[in-house]
Amino acid sequence: MIVFENVSKVYDGGVVGAQGIDLHIAKGEFAFLVGASGSGKTTLIKLILKELDPTDGRILVAGRNLNTLRRSKVPLLRRNIGCVFQDFKLLPNKTVYENVAYALEVVGEPRRSIRRKVPEILNLVGLGEKTNSLPSEISGGEQQRVSVARAFVNHPPLLLADEPTGNIDPDTSVGLMQLLLRINRTGTTVLCATHDRDMVDRMRKRVLALDVGRLVRDERRGVYDSEV
Amino acid sequence: MRSSFFVNEALGSLRRNWVMTIAAVLTVFISMAILGFVLVIDRNLNQGATSLKNRVMIEVFLKDTATPEQVSAMESRIEAMPEVKGTPVYISKDQALEEFKQRLGPNAANILQNLSTNPLPASFRIYVEDPQQVDTVAARFFNDPIVDNTPGTHDGVRYAQQTVRKMLGTISLVEKGMWVATIIFAAAAILLISTTVRLSIFARRREIEIMRLVGATNWFIRWPFVVEGFITGLLGSIVAALGVFLVNWTIYNWVHNSSVNFLGVMVYPVWIQGGRWPLGLLPTLALLGAALGSVGSVVALRRYLRV
Repeated sequence: MIVFENVSKVYDGGVVGAQGIDLHIAKGEFAFLVGASGSGKTTLIKLILKELDPTDGRILVAGRNLNTLRRSKVPLLRRNIGCVFQDFKLLPNKTVYENVAYALEVVGEPRRSIRRKVPEILNLVGLGEKTNSLPSEISGGEQQRVSVARAFVNHPPLLLADEPTGNIDPDTSVGLMQLLLRINRTGTTVLCATHDRDMVDRMRKRVLALDVGRLVRDERRGVYDSEV
Repeated sequence: MRSSFFVNEALGSLRRNWVMTIAAVLTVFISMAILGFVLVIDRNLNQGATSLKNRVMIEVFLKDTATPEQVSAMESRIEAMPEVKGTPVYISKDQALEEFKQRLGPNAANILQNLSTNPLPASFRIYVEDPQQVDTVAARFFNDPIVDNTPGTHDGVRYAQQTVRKMLGTISLVEKGMWVATIIFAAAAILLISTTVRLSIFARRREIEIMRLVGATNWFIRWPFVVEGFITGLLGSIVAALGVFLVNWTIYNWVHNSSVNFLGVMVYPVWIQGGRWPLGLLPTLALLGAALGSVGSVVALRRYLRV
């Protein structure tokens, strides 16, 4: 699903975001991306979304070579990648329903199927009662579930989460992780960047550790800190 | 493309950001109203100048003793002159009297019944292409034997005085100034409107970022903004066009119903049809505002849509 071949990213000004990263994440995998702030987690995610172009190396996502992907095709790439962010990134002026529906409007989904799919996914994330609330009217945990619903309503093959539990309390985080896990079980590849040590240790999933842009550890059933 | 979705998005965001909407509509209104007034003043001057130019006429009065042959010879001579516009108009003695009666109005009968003969001379009315050529053309009749001159003078030839021509000169200068003013105000309108649009888009850059992240194509993001700009621009400039029309109409009525009219002040009504503007001045103004709004949106969006 995701292949990095010797990928480097040096920002203008010399800051290194990624350095010689080789990586292969298979279809249907669930992987954590861990590392201190500034270790390059977000750079990696942005590279996958083609928000950034690598300085060096080759990136393949969902069978597309991002190095040769034309600018005009970037929206098509992003429709195949669901995104969940630490700050939720919900449209503040739209209701819960409209936020999720927007992701479907974008791909030109017929109105009738939007009316069917949105309540369905909102029920799945447990927000069936809040469809007409604005993001400002619901809790952080709920907002994050809206953003998961939006990311998943298209059933994309890949879901990226950039510190999804960064702004919500530990109990709610557990629920959210279970949600991500359920999504993963439908066959969606999930890549989750996180600081949440407990979560990573409990889930025992694949762990990719970054340090100053280098991939320093890749364990099949890993924990947050190296066990060595 | 789902146009109803874009229109709904645009209307929704106009409603939600109503403060920004009002600010933008007012900006368009003010800039377009100023531009509109400049254009209307320009148009009034233009028509005024045209009618003045049309009045630059040479009248050549003929002696009563002139024979029909002499008169028709003169007519063909005038027609042959390259400076002359169209054919000269011959006013016979009877026609001259008729015109005089009309100018006197209802009292004409009383005054004219005492006349035993018609004292008014026949004349040619000659229009020239260029007001500057009046002198040259007029001079050709100064010494003509059949022209009714008082001996030693040229009073048988009447033509536009120096003042009229000076006025025309001034008007053409003012007209050139108006062109410069039009360009300046048009540029100011464009700048002002584009700044407002850019501000309102800057306020929503996060929204645009999110749209891009969920895979919206650039045009999918753009359309609602374009519709929004169009509506804002149209609203503002329709109000501006109405304002310009009302003010001009009021001045027009005031001038025509008051003694100011006596001074020869000219104000022309502007309406749908209008000279140099294929659609008419005011509809053009309204469409211009709408176009500025939507193009402004596209331009202002550019930096946020660079992937």
